[in-house]
Amino acid sequence: MSDASTGQKFENPVTVTIDGRAIVAEKGDMLLQVALDNGIEIPHYCYHPKLSIDGSCRMCQVKTGAPKLAIACNTPVVDGMEVDTQSEDVAKARRGVMELLLINHPLDCPICDQAGECYLQDYSYGYGREEARTASPRRKGLKRHPIGPRVVFDQERCILCRRCVRFTNEISKTDELAVFGAGDHSHIGTAPGAPLDNAYSVNTADICPVGALLSSDFHHKRRVWFLEETQSVCPSCSKGCNVKLGMFKNEIQRLVPRRNDDVNETWMCDHGRLNYAFAQDETRARDAVVRGEAANGSSPVVSTDDALKEASAKIRATIDAHGANAVGILGSGALTNEEQYHLAALARDAVGTSNLDVIVPTGEADGFLIQAEKVANARGAREMGVSPGESGKDVAGMLAAAAAGEIKLLYVIGSNALAEAVEADALQAAMDNVDTLIVQDTNVGPWADKATIVLPGQVWAEKDGTFTNHQGRVQRVRRAMSPTEGSYCDGGLFTRLGALLGGKDPAGARFDARATLAEISEKVSGYEGMSFERLGSLGVVLGEAAPASAPAETEEGSAPAEPA
Amino acid sequence: MASRVVKVDREALAKAAGPFSVRAIMVGLRVTSRHFFRNLWGWIIGKPTIATVMYPEEDVVKPPAFRGMPVLVEMDNGKERCVACGLCEWACPVDCIHIVPDETEDAIERYPQLFDIDMGRCMYCGLCEEACPEEAIVMSDRVEIAAFSREGTLWHKDDLLVPVDRLARRLEYVRRSYER
Ligand code: SF4
Ligand code: SF4
Ligand code: SF4
Ligand code: SF4
Ligand code: FES
Repeated sequence: MSDASTGQKFENPVTVTIDGRAIVAEKGDMLLQVALDNGIEIPHYCYHPKLSIDGSCRMCQVKTGAPKLAIACNTPVVDGMEVDTQSEDVAKARRGVMELLLINHPLDCPICDQAGECYLQDYSYGYGREEARTASPRRKGLKRHPIGPRVVFDQERCILCRRCVRFTNEISKTDELAVFGAGDHSHIGTAPGAPLDNAYSVNTADICPVGALLSSDFHHKRRVWFLEETQSVCPSCSKGCNVKLGMFKNEIQRLVPRRNDDVNETWMCDHGRLNYAFAQDETRARDAVVRGEAANGSSPVVSTDDALKEASAKIRATIDAHGANAVGILGSGALTNEEQYHLAALARDAVGTSNLDVIVPTGEADGFLIQAEKVANARGAREMGVSPGESGKDVAGMLAAAAAGEIKLLYVIGSNALAEAVEADALQAAMDNVDTLIVQDTNVGPWADKATIVLPGQVWAEKDGTFTNHQGRVQRVRRAMSPTEGSYCDGGLFTRLGALLGGKDPAGARFDARATLAEISEKVSGYEGMSFERLGSLGVVLGEAAPASAPAETEEGSAPAEPA
Repeated sequence: MASRVVKVDREALAKAAGPFSVRAIMVGLRVTSRHFFRNLWGWIIGKPTIATVMYPEEDVVKPPAFRGMPVLVEMDNGKERCVACGLCEWACPVDCIHIVPDETEDAIERYPQLFDIDMGRCMYCGLCEEACPEEAIVMSDRVEIAAFSREGTLWHKDDLLVPVDRLARRLEYVRRSYER
């Protein structure tokens, strides 16, 4: 984000006048960005704040006092510059660019996924002609071409802004896309045998200003104007890329990245973008289950309250017979900080075991966005105290102890993540030897099917709370989906289980994320001053929320604007 | 509910009208019998002047500007013209259109896998027709939506499809009226 919108001081301030408005900017910043930062709209296609300047579309031309119009995206501001973005010759230039772009543009808007968030559509309202002046038929091109496994390409709609080419060149550094041909024959393409296939490929669909590159996953799925967007964080690794969840009728339709210069700039990886089906498909665990003698009749499905009672009875019986350390609790890195806090309290105070750890499936990291820890909140979990207590055991230790018969009861939050994180043999040996397996998970799976008690959890999109990413940035997750009627979030399960173990009425043990965060901000070091309001849309780094070190942004009263 | 109660003494009213009530009856009889004999004559000479039609056996031909139920245009190949662009769904003020788009192998790329209109809620405003970029939804001359259940007033795609030639007059009218 440029200096102007964060209210910071400029090193070399210059004053430019745009449409009669005096604006202070950093010397050498590009005029287009300065205008955008100050809320002045200059139509543009090829300029993208995170890519190099191309200057190919000519849409951003403005009058700067030079004899000819200048492209704002590649004109550095200098002191005393007078800019006119509204004069008749500027409008005429824009109309000219639009007419040329539309000569060969198909009338595809009704079947084009970009419609509703298309630059070309938007600017057509302002600068398009109603009728074409050319008689020749529109040029034909590839339609619905799978240019890569996750991206569809429509050549007719391309306006050759080269944003996608620059992306594969500068950001993903994979160079799949290039402009082939010259002049009127120019077109975007890939080399034979080298499709657009990299870990970040769908970002090209986001930055394509028209509907030429589209996400195959979202293709013809839903009109964008029907989506309700909720600001959230990607749950698929500890980077915590900022995203928007596009919802329709309580279902996630797509994830798109949201700009946060300190985390993901304006990108996200394909895996994270496409990893949301688990939140709503038929594998979701919706019912609480109690198996074995305690089950009533043939159906093991019980109410969550009954399953919680049964769980607390089993835990109590295990503590009484073998001591608290015969209970092992394997926490999930997918839960919010607030829930982790209650999990730690449950293990420490209500159960009294020191065998507590967070399950962290790991994988490849790539040095850009993708992190090795494949859950969003492993760091938060550890900081909230979900880690082995004194002489307590970690995940591997607990499994070994269970296999050796020392741990009699395993309480696994996230059995599928556990299966991913540890060796199958070690897991099998542990499961064979425990007396009681309690599984709390969002999705069913082989271990949930075998568990004595299953407690249905909720996915991140159903919760309000915070995640702490690998850099220690605390970020807000917001509820986008309504959870199943009558279900409890994982935090609610912990508070109720804690109440039951303490002999209290579970109905009084409601989980309140906001109040929990207030408590965390008092008790956990680094989290001082954290609150949902303080985190805002971009999050705050640990230790920086306290009022003493607080915001430079209050100076001009401007919180960082939410960039497009 | 509190309301005002007016007591009417009908007998007294009839008495007060007196001989005039007889006169009113005569006036009424004259009007009806005049129509009766005129229509009878018209029927005999083969030029009926009567406006009444034998609904439902017979139906009046409505002018093309008439706005009845919105229907979907069925092309000659038996498929809908609609590409599930969602503009009518957006334009509809009472939100009675529900579309689920899907991809097709046809050149048109999109089609409505589901296209429902809740006729019990539709108010025949014609905004869907105005919004449609494909001339795929038009106001027809159909007005019969009576059904035995609420589900019966929910019209699905198959109920809504009408062959394009049966809608020719309306399509022509639409083209003329939205032409700029
Ligand atoms: S790219 Fe934009 S202008 Fe072109 S068809 Fe799609 S929505 Fe319409
Ligand atoms: S495909 Fe899109 S991003 Fe790439 S050059 Fe064409 S319009 Fe620009
Ligand atoms: S006629 Fe009006 S109310 Fe009826 S479906 Fe169309 S837009 Fe909706
Ligand atoms: S506006 Fe026309 S093409 Fe679009 S969904 Fe409605 S009927 Fe179909
Ligand atoms: S945005 Fe300036 S030339 Fe394209």
